[in-house]
Amino acid sequence: MFGFLKKVADYTRDAVDAANYLGQGLSVTFDHLRRRPITVQYPYEKLIPSERYRGRIHYEFDKCIACEVCVRVCPINLPVVDWVMNKETKKKELRNYSIDFGVCIFCGNCVEYCPTNCLSMTEEYELAAFDRHSLNYDNVALGRLPTSVTTDPSVQPLRELAYLPAGVMDPHGVPADQPRAGQLPAQVLEQLQANAAAGDEGESIENAPVGDKANG
Amino acid sequence: MVTNLATAAPALVSPGLDLELSFTQALQGLGLSPQVAHLIWLPLPMALVLVAAIVGVLVTVWLERKISAAAQQRIGPEYAGPLGVLQPMADGLKLLVKEDVIPARADGLLFTLGPVLVLVPVILSWLIVPFGQNLLISNVGVGIFLWISLSSIQPIGLLMSGYASNNKYSLLGGLRAAAQSISYEIPLALSVLAVVMMSNSLSTVDIVDQQNGAGVLSWNVWRQPVGFLIFWICALAECERLPFDLPEAEEELVAGYQTEYAGMKFALFYLGSYINLVLSALLVSVLYLGGWGFPIPVEWLAGWLGQSVDAPVVQVITASVGIVMTVLKAYLLVFLAILLRWTTPRVRIDQLLDLGWKFLLPLSLANLLITAALKLVFPSAFGG
Repeated sequence: MFGFLKKVADYTRDAVDAANYLGQGLSVTFDHLRRRPITVQYPYEKLIPSERYRGRIHYEFDKCIACEVCVRVCPINLPVVDWVMNKETKKKELRNYSIDFGVCIFCGNCVEYCPTNCLSMTEEYELAAFDRHSLNYDNVALGRLPTSVTTDPSVQPLRELAYLPAGVMDPHGVPADQPRAGQLPAQVLEQLQANAAAGDEGESIENAPVGDKANG
Repeated sequence: MVTNLATAAPALVSPGLDLELSFTQALQGLGLSPQVAHLIWLPLPMALVLVAAIVGVLVTVWLERKISAAAQQRIGPEYAGPLGVLQPMADGLKLLVKEDVIPARADGLLFTLGPVLVLVPVILSWLIVPFGQNLLISNVGVGIFLWISLSSIQPIGLLMSGYASNNKYSLLGGLRAAAQSISYEIPLALSVLAVVMMSNSLSTVDIVDQQNGAGVLSWNVWRQPVGFLIFWICALAECERLPFDLPEAEEELVAGYQTEYAGMKFALFYLGSYINLVLSALLVSVLYLGGWGFPIPVEWLAGWLGQSVDAPVVQVITASVGIVMTVLKAYLLVFLAILLRWTTPRVRIDQLLDLGWKFLLPLSLANLLITAALKLVFPSAFGG
């Protein structure tokens, strides 16, 4: 008898709990309706890539010394360096250079290790092509500079969340001259140096603990 | 056709706006016989309700897409018309001009008949949805029973299209749809029965009239809270909406019985499911939320303002308020259904049948018995 009653009680409790959880879930969904979309209307609006963005690689043919360091540091030995040894001058003569961006993983090792800085990362990421072979860029294609999002007249550039002023969530309509939250490394350095200079002039200024630390 | 309360049952309740009477009288004034006037009147409410159902579906589809987008921090349809309001039209137009494919190994006749059998009963059920005292196509005496019996035709169409597609996913989807419809029809009917018992009538007009004695306080939802919940859950299951959309569970069954359908035949299924959703929402508002009734009875408001209920202006205002209230309540329920869609995970087939047979059925039976007991004990409060 009591076993049966207990069963009924447990069942009822389960049902009430289930209804309760359902209500909680509904309130969560309802609450989400208040949040505004963060949509970037892609072909018309684009996010400005961050300053360390690793996009398509840019290459300057004239700077290259054909040392093949890029090939050695590449995880898959991807760059093709086509050079011949000039017997008379005893120097390498570079004829062609190519990177296949259908295979490249954009790790940036080649850019990191290039002794003459002839390689660099751009902010170009729209590499879609109808034929995968057209992704194999030769030195001419590698030497082209991409269109910047900020200078393209058909694109509305939008700042990424980390580059927005403090407290702003929506990049739409934020003026370009409004600075981002926090300070850039250069600005921090400037501040430190200014503080250090102030510390040298008079020891009385104690409002900058960072400056004191820099003083040693 | 429309039961004319002005002549059949005078004085008891205010007849409200009777468009048929005015229309036929106007035609008779032009020298037509009453029969001809009635014949000219006949197609008008039917066409109007058909248009209302289609527009209701377009609005629901738009709402579904926009609310789903809002719940997920998206924008949703945007380019077709202002705020994307024309998106459902564009969808419909696309389906209309798509090729109508019948698979080579399918049973052509049943394949075509399936979607029709799904859609027709749903549209037919709009016969009994009242938007006001006389604003419905037909105040049939068995109103709500007609809806229940019509809605049980639907699984036959689903089963038919599932079988005729000659596709294992379609067949499984059709079987699931039939199982689901059959198991949720019974608690649905039982919870309706409790309401019918309280209002002593199967007619939807009578059910609403009986709820509008004291405005919001006399709505059935206060006397039938359990019945309201059971009815809503069952209505969702009948509409195959989440969390009960097993027949077209795409992860398991591709698209269930709709898998082989394209073009206009698919559009019929689509239309049917959304008309059914709006219809269910309308019927919940009719059965439990006072139908066309304003939270404060319009008669009281008219009395406070010193206006006669029978004055033409008041009648027109009352009718408009009635339509607005019915639609408003229905769309609040549609909103709830959309919110539920993005809240609840889909149930498994065994959980679905367990919920139907082992939980809702006993509960609705108990609800019915308790209602009967309460009706005997408190006849004044529970419609003796």
